[in-house]
Amino acid sequence: MRTTVILGLVIFSLLGSISRPDARQGTAREVEIVAERFSFTPSEVRVPLGTSLRLRIRSDDTMHGFRIIGKGVNILIPKRRQGEVVVHFEATEAGRFEFWCSRLCGAGHNFMRGAIVVFDDTRNDGEGI
Amino acid sequence: MHFLTSKIVSVILFIVVFPGVSGGQIFSDLRDRVRQANREQLLLAPAQRARARNVTGAPSRLRAASDPISNSSVSQTGPISGYMDFHFNDRQESDPVLDFHRFVLLLNHSFSERVRFVAELELEHTVVSNETDGELELEQAYVDFLISRPFNLRAGMVLAPVGVINERHEPPVYHGVERPSVETVIVPTTWFGAGVGIHGELRGGLRYRLYGMETLDAAGFSAEQGLRDGRQKGAKSNAKHLAGTGRLEYVGTPGLVVGTSFWAGDTGFAFPRLDNSVTMIEFDGRYRWQELDLRGLYAHAFLDSIADLNESVQRVFGINPNVAEQIRGFYLEGSYFIVPKPAPRELAAFVRYENFDTQYRMSAGYLPIQAYDRDSWSVGITYFPDPDVAVKVDYTVMRNQSDVVTAPNSFNVGLGWWF
Repeated sequence: MRTTVILGLVIFSLLGSISRPDARQGTAREVEIVAERFSFTPSEVRVPLGTSLRLRIRSDDTMHGFRIIGKGVNILIPKRRQGEVVVHFEATEAGRFEFWCSRLCGAGHNFMRGAIVVFDDTRNDGEGI
Repeated sequence: MHFLTSKIVSVILFIVVFPGVSGGQIFSDLRDRVRQANREQLLLAPAQRARARNVTGAPSRLRAASDPISNSSVSQTGPISGYMDFHFNDRQESDPVLDFHRFVLLLNHSFSERVRFVAELELEHTVVSNETDGELELEQAYVDFLISRPFNLRAGMVLAPVGVINERHEPPVYHGVERPSVETVIVPTTWFGAGVGIHGELRGGLRYRLYGMETLDAAGFSAEQGLRDGRQKGAKSNAKHLAGTGRLEYVGTPGLVVGTSFWAGDTGFAFPRLDNSVTMIEFDGRYRWQELDLRGLYAHAFLDSIADLNESVQRVFGINPNVAEQIRGFYLEGSYFIVPKPAPRELAAFVRYENFDTQYRMSAGYLPIQAYDRDSWSVGITYFPDPDVAVKVDYTVMRNQSDVVTAPNSFNVGLGWWF
């Protein structure tokens, strides 16, 4: 009986460690972004530190560009119904990472901006970032 | 009835001329071109993969990859972008016209990551001369100082952020050969002028623009066209008085855009001792759900001291313009992609109801001109051989409240493209 209880506690603690992963060790998240003149929706993606973010981006009109400033990502988004692009973003540091449309798409091109906000979930949800 | 019958014949002829809609030779040519483009895409694929590898290896631990886009055509563009609008307009009781309505070039330049220049130069109706209606206009030429997402500065020739079409007027993004009448007569699209202001995106999908810009010249107001001919267009604009304009819009839900805007300014500078002003408020919304797209707009302008303006104009020019104290208009539009397949097999149908009155409320002692209390139904199709190319056909039934003057119906065919 005593052995069974000890064994049960060991298994329970092991299961507990599996079911409560540390966010820093990485969780995966997928977000779909729609680009159209002249906005990205959603324009802000908030993830905790350690997230492996997969952005699926498609256009509802013309060809747009998706550029994350200072991160070396600059890729074309195909026109409506012609496919999507996928951008992987590893949230390894807290901060605000802006993305812009990098292909002139019309009179309001400069309005097409957004941000990936990476927050350290041990402190807050990134409200101040 | 005869007019309508002749238009139906024209539509049939149009379908024969553009057999891509019904699956003829041009359609198959387009398919061949797409296949050719796909082959080019495959040729480009190694370069994209190389770029993806480079990014993967970057210290920032970012990876970007393009999923295989087997059916994507590759759109090539140079340093200049723009859009074009070529129309065939057949108005009842007038000769039909062919009109290369708009030839627009957009140029941009980035001085740095956060200092950018954008310009839009527009030639309307092909030829600028004393004998034609042609105009060469600098509709936009501004420098953006991109400081942060919620706060940025803009200065130069700017678009008034009023309505759906004024800031978003590339031909493939709206249905109908001509822009909605409400956004031509009530909101004088394209409404542009010299100005400076701020813009940005706040939390929760809220965006704003707030500009100080040149005002309108009340000497150009009219009973039929409302404020339209009052635009100074940045040409040595009178700067004794400035206008304020702004927009707040919500873009936080996919497919939904809801916005409101205002414009307010003193407009009587052309006449001594005339204290005339205009205030416009506007509400609009767009919603797209799957293949259905709905949009609507309501705009209402209040013209202050307009009786004094009418009398001043009559003293100077000898004719009373009968400008109203209030003008207003609204429209509702629904469209549906009846062939929701990738171009060149993409076809949408639309219907739009508009109601606009440039004589909505008159000053004491003035009677409204009923011919300018108008409403219309437009139905049509838009065929997209490419998402950036729109072939449009529509028929508009226009009515007014006059017992004497009839409003002309019109049949329109257009070809518009963005590049």
